[in-house]
Amino acid sequence: MKTTVRTVGEVSVVDLSGKITIGEGDIILRDKVHELLEGGHKKILLNLEKVSYMDSAGIGELVACFKRAREKGGTVKLLKPSGKVEDLLQLTKLWEVFEIFGEEQQAIPSF
Amino acid sequence: MASATTVKLVISSEVRLVDVVHSASETMAGIAGFDEDQSLNVGLAVREAVINAIVHGNKRDPSRRVDVVLKARPRSITAQVRDQGSGFDIDAMQDPTSEANILNTSGRGILMMRAFVDDVGFKYREGRGTEVTLKARLKRGRRDDNGGSER
Repeated sequence: MKTTVRTVGEVSVVDLSGKITIGEGDIILRDKVHELLEGGHKKILLNLEKVSYMDSAGIGELVACFKRAREKGGTVKLLKPSGKVEDLLQLTKLWEVFEIFGEEQQAIPSF
Repeated sequence: MASATTVKLVISSEVRLVDVVHSASETMAGIAGFDEDQSLNVGLAVREAVINAIVHGNKRDPSRRVDVVLKARPRSITAQVRDQGSGFDIDAMQDPTSEANILNTSGRGILMMRAFVDDVGFKYREGRGTEVTLKARLKRGRRDDNGGSER
């Protein structure tokens, strides 16, 4: 998995691409969100548009990022999950936990 | 009975090898006639069984192996995943979607297996570890529904 971070106003938009799976994508995601939080960037939008799928470890890491941000007074929100990623968020009922947006223009002002 | 195409894989308990089994599972689902999305479902279900075997069954001990048997028949696929662990109580597993567990960072693998294939069975035998059997069948007419050419 690859990540690119953009800053839009006070929001760090993390564009993810590939798959969030055990031993690779989950670690990259954890490290990137950790780096942002430690750097004082507490408004994080994870763009899942180009994530093809996740496994249980990847889903677990999404939850871990959500909790870690909350502990540090920050927020993690999700952008454009689709296909298998959307199915997995629905299946696990995490769709009801995360704030999820279909458009970046709607997501940014929500922070 | 229709003849089966069989693949057997033996891996050490290293998470970097999960992709190998996932990929083989998707390929075998394709041989069974599943479309791309259905094949990914099979791959994801088998992936979760292998993760469970490595992480929970074999406790990530690379000297312990995971045995995988994939059998593709026309319109169906079966996967057996066996670890060398000491078993677990499937009835004691908690619902990961409940309010109490929704923010847990693990415990969703079995939910995913059950969502992505038709049947999931668990069998533990002393000294032989836990064997998970996953079965998926191609729904009749599915390809026609998607505009495919199956007759």
